[in-house]
Amino acid sequence: MAVATREQPRILLASTQTQHRIGQIITYLLLLLGAAVILIPLYWMISTSLKAETKLFVLPPQVIPDPIVWRNYIDVWTIQPFTGYFINTIFVTALAMSGEIISCALVAYGFARFRFPGRDVLFILVLATMMLPNIITMIPAFLIWRSLGRIDTFSPLTVGALFAWGPSFIFLLRQFFLTIPREIEEAAIIDGANVIDIFWKIMLPLVKPALLAIAVLSFNGNWNNFMGPLIYLNTPGKYPVILGLYAFAGSLSKEAPKWHYMMAMTVIMSLPILLLYFRAQKYFIEGLTVGGVKG
Amino acid sequence: MLEWYLLTLTDYAIAAAGIGLVMFLTYQLLPRLGVKREAATGYALIMPWLLGFLIWTAYPILASLYYSFTDYNIFQAPKWIGLDNYVRILTRDPNFWPSLKLTLLYGILSLPIGLAGALGVAMLLARDVRGTGVWRTLYYLPAVLPAVAVILLWQWLLGTNGLFNVVFSPIYSLLGMARPSWFTDERFVLPGLVIMSLWGVFGSNAVILLAGLKNIPIHLYEAVDIDGGGAWTKFRHVTLPMVSPTLFYTLILGIIAAVKTFEPGLFIKLNPRTSGTFLQVLIYGNAFAGGNSKMGYASAMSWIMLVIILALTLLTFRTSAAWVYYEGERR
Repeated sequence: MAVATREQPRILLASTQTQHRIGQIITYLLLLLGAAVILIPLYWMISTSLKAETKLFVLPPQVIPDPIVWRNYIDVWTIQPFTGYFINTIFVTALAMSGEIISCALVAYGFARFRFPGRDVLFILVLATMMLPNIITMIPAFLIWRSLGRIDTFSPLTVGALFAWGPSFIFLLRQFFLTIPREIEEAAIIDGANVIDIFWKIMLPLVKPALLAIAVLSFNGNWNNFMGPLIYLNTPGKYPVILGLYAFAGSLSKEAPKWHYMMAMTVIMSLPILLLYFRAQKYFIEGLTVGGVKG
Repeated sequence: MLEWYLLTLTDYAIAAAGIGLVMFLTYQLLPRLGVKREAATGYALIMPWLLGFLIWTAYPILASLYYSFTDYNIFQAPKWIGLDNYVRILTRDPNFWPSLKLTLLYGILSLPIGLAGALGVAMLLARDVRGTGVWRTLYYLPAVLPAVAVILLWQWLLGTNGLFNVVFSPIYSLLGMARPSWFTDERFVLPGLVIMSLWGVFGSNAVILLAGLKNIPIHLYEAVDIDGGGAWTKFRHVTLPMVSPTLFYTLILGIIAAVKTFEPGLFIKLNPRTSGTFLQVLIYGNAFAGGNSKMGYASAMSWIMLVIILALTLLTFRTSAAWVYYEGERR
C-alpha cells in the first residue's frame, strides 16, 4: 500500500493515511474476532476438564472453575487403562511413521532421479491414488488381514506403512529431490559411492526439511487414526488412546454424561500433538501448502 | 501383553525384509535381462510403492468390485447375485437416501462457507499485519487437533445447555425460539455439523490460501493502482484469478473430504432413517458393526460413493476452465 501512495500529492497522502489507519484497525478487529472464535472453545475444553461434576451446568457458566479439580486428570487416567492406551498409540505411531518415511523417501528418490520406461504413467498412478477414498479398499484389505489371522493385532495398522502408503508424501519428497542439482550425485558416483550410499548419506540430509514436514504429518495422521483401530482392534487392552476415548464416550449415560472427564481425556490426547505443533509448526505448514501452491 | 507387540514386530520385520529382497532382486536381475542399470535402479527404488499399489490398491479395487455383485458374509464364500445389491441400496434401503442427502447437503453447506471464510482470513493475514506467524499459528490450531477431540468438544459446546446456547440465548429470545438441541433435534443436526466442521478445517484452508496469496506479484496490484482501480477491482481482477488454482485445489480436497466424513457420524448418534447419517458410517455399519458382515452389500455402497466422488470431482474439473486461471497457460 505504501508503494501505491508514494507518487501522490501531500494532501491526498494525509487522507489515504487515515484510510489506511482505519483499514488496519478493521483488519485487527476481524483477526481478533477470529482468534476469539478459535480460542474460546479451546479454553472451554480446558476449563471444563478442571470442573467438579456438579458445576458443569451451573448458570451463568463458570468461566474459571471453582473449585479447580486437578483430580479429574488422575481419575480419567485410572478409570481407563490410559497408560496402556498410550503405549499402544506410541508403538503403532512409531512403527507406522518410520516405515512410511523411509519407504516414501526411497520411492520419491526413484521417481525423481532415474529414467525408466513407464515412469510418468506410474507417477500419475501415485497421484491418482491420492484421490481414491480408502473406503473402497478397506473391505478387501480387511479380508486380506483376516485370512492372515491378523485381526485384533497391530499389524494391519503398521505393516502397510512399509509399502509407501502416503502418496502425498511421495509427491512432496519428489518435489524436493528435483530441486537438488545433479552435480552433487555425479561427484559422488565418480568417487565410487553406490546408490544406497548416495541416498542415505547425501540425498536424505539434503531434503531434511521435507523429511521433517512428512514426519510431523505422519505422526499427526497415525496418532489421530481412528478408523483403522476401530475396524481391526477388538480387545480393549490393545486400544490406542483414540479408541479408549470412543469407548468411554459410548459407555456414558445420556442423562449424566461426564463431560469433565471427557474434556480431560481430550486435553490429554491433544497435548502431544499440540506440543509438536508449537515446536515444529513450520513443518506442518510446509507440508500442508506444498500441494496447493507448488503443485 | 508383550507378545502382541512381538507379533507385530515380527510381521513388520518380515514385510520389510521381503520388500528389501524384491528391491535387491530387481536391482540385480533386471540388468541381466537387458534393462539399463539406471532403469533397474529406478524400478528397484519404487518397488515398495509398486508392491503396495498391487497388494493394497489394485487388488482390493478389483476384489471390492467383484464383492459388490455378490452376497458375501465372511463366513460363506461369496455368491454371485448380479446387480441385486445396487438395486436394493437404491430402491429399498431406508437409510440410503436420507444419508446421501445429509452427506451432500453437509458438503454443499460447509464447503462454500468454509472456503469463503478461509479466503477472507487469508486476505486479512496477507495484508501487512504484525505477527503474521502468530496469527497463522493460532488459526491453524484447530486443524491439528485430533478430529475426535474436535467432535467431542463441539458435542459439549452445542449441547442443549452447552456454552454455545448460553452465549447465544439473547439472540434466541430475540427470534422467539427455544434453545435448539443441536444434535438431537433433526432440524438442527445439519447446521450443528456444519458449525463443527467450519471450526475444524477453517484454519488449514486459510493457511493454504495464504501461501497462494503470497505468490501474487505486487506489480499486478500496482498496475490496478495506476489505472485508478479500487479495492474491489483488485479483488475481482487480481486476487481472485491469481488465487483460483489454490481455491480449486482446496475445493477438490474439500469435496473428497466431505463425502468421506466419518468420525462425526460415529460419535454423534444420528438416526439414519430420518435425519440420515454419513455414507461412510453407513458402509462401516453394514460391513463391520454390530455383528454385521454384509461385505458384498457394503462394497456396493462404497462403489456408489466412489462414483459420487468421481462425478463431483469431474464436474468441478469441467467447470474449472471457466473460473480457474493458470498464469502460464495463455502465454
